[in-house]
Amino acid sequence: MSTKKTLMGTPMSDRIFNIVVYAFVIGVMIVTLYPFLNVLALSFNDSIDSVRGGITIFPRDFTLKNYELIFSFSSLLTGFKISVLRTVAGTIVGLISASMLAYTLSRPDFQGRRFVSVYLALTMYVSGGLIPFYFLIKDLHMMNTFAVYIIPGLVSAFNVFIIRSFMDTIPYALQESAKLDGANDFTIYWRIILPMSKPALATIALFLAVGQWNSWFDTYLYNGSSESLTTLQFELMKVLQSTTSGNNADIHNPNLTQVMSTVSPESVKMAITIVVTLPILLVYPFLQRYFVKGMTLGAVKG
Amino acid sequence: MKAITIDGERQVRGDKGRFWRTFLRNKYLWAMSLPFVLWVFVFSYYPLWGWTMAFQKYKPALSFGEQQWVGFDHFKTLFHDDTFYQVMRNTLAMSFMGIIAGFLVPIIFAIMLNEIRSMAFKRVAQTVSYLPHFVSWVVVAGLVTKMLSTDNGAVNELLMWLGIINEPIQFMAKGELFWGIVTVSDVWKEMGWNTIIYLAAIAGIGPELYEAAKVDGASRLRQIWHITLPGIRTTIVILLIMSIGHLIQIGFEKQFLLGNNLVRDYSRVLDLYSLEYGLQMSRYSFGTAINIFNSVVSILLLFAANGLFKRITKESIM
Amino acid sequence: MKREMKWSGLVLTTTLFAGLLAACGNNNDNAGNASPGASANPSATSSASEENLAPLTMTFYSEDPNPNWTNMQDEVGKVLTSKTGISLDAEFAVGDPVQKSSLIAASGEYPDLISAKQSISKFVDAGAVLDLTDLIDQYAPNIKKVFEGQMGRLKYSEEDPAIYVIPSYSTVGQQYFNAGGGFELQHRVVKELGYPQIKTVKDFEKAIKDYLTLHPKDENGNPNIGLSLNADDWHMYISVTNPAFLATGGADDGEFHIDVDTTEVTYHFRRPEEKEYFRWLNHMNAEGLLDKESFVQKYDQYKAKIATGRVLGLIDQDWDYGDGEKALKAEGKFEYGYGHYPVTLTEDYKEASFWPTGFMAGNGVSISKDNPDPVRAIKFLDYLASDEGQVLMNWGIEGKHYNVVDGKRVIPEEVNNRKVNDATNFQKESGIGNYNLLSAHYGDGVKDPTGNYYTTSFPEQIVAGFNDVEKEVLAAYQATTWRDLFPKEEEFKVRPWGASWNIPVPTESESVVLEKKLQDITWKRIPQAILAKPEEFDKIWDDYQKELLAADVEKAEDLREELVKARVRMWSE
Repeated sequence: MSTKKTLMGTPMSDRIFNIVVYAFVIGVMIVTLYPFLNVLALSFNDSIDSVRGGITIFPRDFTLKNYELIFSFSSLLTGFKISVLRTVAGTIVGLISASMLAYTLSRPDFQGRRFVSVYLALTMYVSGGLIPFYFLIKDLHMMNTFAVYIIPGLVSAFNVFIIRSFMDTIPYALQESAKLDGANDFTIYWRIILPMSKPALATIALFLAVGQWNSWFDTYLYNGSSESLTTLQFELMKVLQSTTSGNNADIHNPNLTQVMSTVSPESVKMAITIVVTLPILLVYPFLQRYFVKGMTLGAVKG
Repeated sequence: MKAITIDGERQVRGDKGRFWRTFLRNKYLWAMSLPFVLWVFVFSYYPLWGWTMAFQKYKPALSFGEQQWVGFDHFKTLFHDDTFYQVMRNTLAMSFMGIIAGFLVPIIFAIMLNEIRSMAFKRVAQTVSYLPHFVSWVVVAGLVTKMLSTDNGAVNELLMWLGIINEPIQFMAKGELFWGIVTVSDVWKEMGWNTIIYLAAIAGIGPELYEAAKVDGASRLRQIWHITLPGIRTTIVILLIMSIGHLIQIGFEKQFLLGNNLVRDYSRVLDLYSLEYGLQMSRYSFGTAINIFNSVVSILLLFAANGLFKRITKESIM
Repeated sequence: MKREMKWSGLVLTTTLFAGLLAACGNNNDNAGNASPGASANPSATSSASEENLAPLTMTFYSEDPNPNWTNMQDEVGKVLTSKTGISLDAEFAVGDPVQKSSLIAASGEYPDLISAKQSISKFVDAGAVLDLTDLIDQYAPNIKKVFEGQMGRLKYSEEDPAIYVIPSYSTVGQQYFNAGGGFELQHRVVKELGYPQIKTVKDFEKAIKDYLTLHPKDENGNPNIGLSLNADDWHMYISVTNPAFLATGGADDGEFHIDVDTTEVTYHFRRPEEKEYFRWLNHMNAEGLLDKESFVQKYDQYKAKIATGRVLGLIDQDWDYGDGEKALKAEGKFEYGYGHYPVTLTEDYKEASFWPTGFMAGNGVSISKDNPDPVRAIKFLDYLASDEGQVLMNWGIEGKHYNVVDGKRVIPEEVNNRKVNDATNFQKESGIGNYNLLSAHYGDGVKDPTGNYYTTSFPEQIVAGFNDVEKEVLAAYQATTWRDLFPKEEEFKVRPWGASWNIPVPTESESVVLEKKLQDITWKRIPQAILAKPEEFDKIWDDYQKELLAADVEKAEDLREELVKARVRMWSE
């Protein structure tokens, strides 16, 4: 490989490399931006005109009516508040639980290491089904509560293993020296390991936040009839899925004409998608700096 | 097992004593993990009693004691159904393709993003790339169908313009192409999102390693091969093990939305089969039987993958 | 130290907060739903005489979606609450309701009122719903009046003749004033060809062919399409498979054809007439008259295609392709709209869309055993079924949503406009359309004691809704509405079983799985048969029939026949 390096320039191979990289990345950007721009364009487009299709990234018949309609639903506001609350609470609590567990599993001298790892791993692939879980929630009196958004899903094996793999890259020597200084395991975890695991924590925080923000099925099953605990996504789903599912009896329903005429048009559904997605997109830049390389993370290794 | 001799007895007592001593030394660690272990028991292991439904003729109206037991009947029904085998084939095929594409592309993209010097560009590129993750499959499937259609679809127009074909190809009608279409669509939608973990892993690689390599005159490609890739190897392995465990639990939404009646034989997957013949018919027992089958296979795969990687790369999750 | 405090402080506060909300969550609902109907009019209506009108809230679960529910805060809802004291705390299904219904049925705690549709058997098995026979007899004179002579049809089954459901989906005395189905042709096609007779598939084909020869492309250079089918998932039933029996004199009994004299049941695809119908579709494809994308396109693409005006013919229902037509009308392209024609395979058959069923009973509202006051519940439902209640639900409030002019109910222009163009908001504000599925009611064409119709769908109003082009075409065919072109109900024998798709199937019955397997085979083979080369059609069809036999189609037919016969016995008592 030619590595003729001059003091002034970069090697030829590096230049080609640069071009290839930039070309590929730009290509990816164009291709991935398109679906989102399409949804955005449709959300600003008149609903009847949207049926005609053919809209790509610009609205053809611009209107704000879709958004006006959305913001007239009062339940959206409650949904928004609850969604924000559960996202914040769920993320913080989930981060703490996952990182704590991950730390215990990253310690080679931990007795329960093998057992807990297997015990956790299995949970990712087994489930008792909807009915037993439903009964459990009922028996724990968590129906129609906010807690049902946070408590059942507190521990996620996936998150634990990801964070652990990061913690494994932190040299054990650091912990040993801290021990010599008299620190106990919890202090090591809290004061040393956590701050050094920022990329992992940021990543998992993002996953937790998005997961909490997007969930609606639990609202549907457990809090379906309580307006004050509704979530934004659930409100969206109610509108999105209001078309008949094609159940054999439905299509014979003589009232169908009336039902179909009140179904929200495509463009309104697109507007709701934008409204629900935008807040979580705004979270991302805050977390991004933790895992895009370039910022020093205070990683004192070795 | 050590033989019990007088010396041995002291050994045994010593072993027991060591257990408790270690336990006390680990007391913080136990305190930090046991509550969660209990938590997991309540919400993940306790509901497994529901697996008994697979051996009953479950009726929601009756209490547990009143249910009728049918042993392995539901499993027999499952394994005698021809559709089951076709569905497994489709599931496995799309799974394999999905894992391969789903690993290669995000890793390559993460590495490429890492090589970009401009912070601003890097951040913008990354944010844009993960946007499709938030667009629902309903919308994406609609877009894909439109692009591949023979009625002014973008792909056909392009191919004809380039002179590669004379007449439009009806991509969505060909069963053999279905698996490929699903895989490519999935990459398109999820690549940016899947890159995030790898970027985070790369961020954890000490910059001094790159400095040293540059001083030695290594080209960028060399640096990637010797520093970046090994640096994220652990992450890759862990994700790979977990994905292999999920081999047959791939959901059904994208296959359902991208499919149509002409490609049925290629598009129906296990989770859809379970939904249609289990839950939607209120055949809970049958659905639970499929659920158990799913879990058993997944666990076997998990241990196999874990053991394999432990031996080859010394990395594993258990 | 400080950083640690900030962190833990944050954690503590959030968890505390979460805990607080958890505690509050439970109470908020009860507070928020106290009925506002305290201003009870000391009754002025026939059904609420010396009633207890104290406010009472009942929970209601429905398997139907309804995004326009406003907790009875709409205008009609408020009136309902003031007349009966009852307000409803409703929960509607989102997406597939089967899961939620199963969970509720299994849980042992039931909402006060349930509209379970297909899942009713789960609730009956769980003992969750009350037998309403006595309640109706003693407290529901209006419901009795609506169902007069047909109360036998409300029984659940031969083994269990209790009444669990007050049918609210099927209407009594329904007359159809317009036709929304059949085969469709664009107005411009029939106009230019001089309004030819469109009675058989050959006529239909010829019209499309002739017009395509004259106009192969539209003004943008895109090719016109003869016929496009809507085959996205369940739309297959409407556009591809049901027309096969409707066009060959078979009534809509779901996937089965039932002989009206012998009640013999056949899986309808096994009828030789239908083989010829699909052969015709195959022929259309071979001639290039059928849209090649029919079986690949998604519902949105289908509608978009229609909206471009390029599709000359359809086989669909107006509510199914309606969005596309609406877009055309919005551009003023009324010539590109569609007329409905009673096309059959040959002149020997009668188009069967309007084969009468009589009152079909079926899905409706149940009162659960957890209901705090079943008597008040039935009285509430009874009010909805009263003359006053029905007019309220359909027409709205006098003076606001309609006026009475010379004894006739008339809807003012602006109100009608809003109903059509601002449907969602109108339904939310007025409440019209939010309560129709709660109780017994008459159908279109039935007049109340004042001589006005109960519903807002009647001939004069429908005709007023036609645009000029439609009227022109109708006049050319000597019809006032599309219904006139179709055979009258009197030409058919009433089916003694109502409609087969309406009969509840017991959950353990084998027929559930059998019918799904048959459907899997059919949905694969029919598109294949239609798109194949004409020479291959017979072979594919034969293979298809063999597959059906191998999948036990005869057993499915027998099982279905038992159900039908049981229903005939039960209803003829």
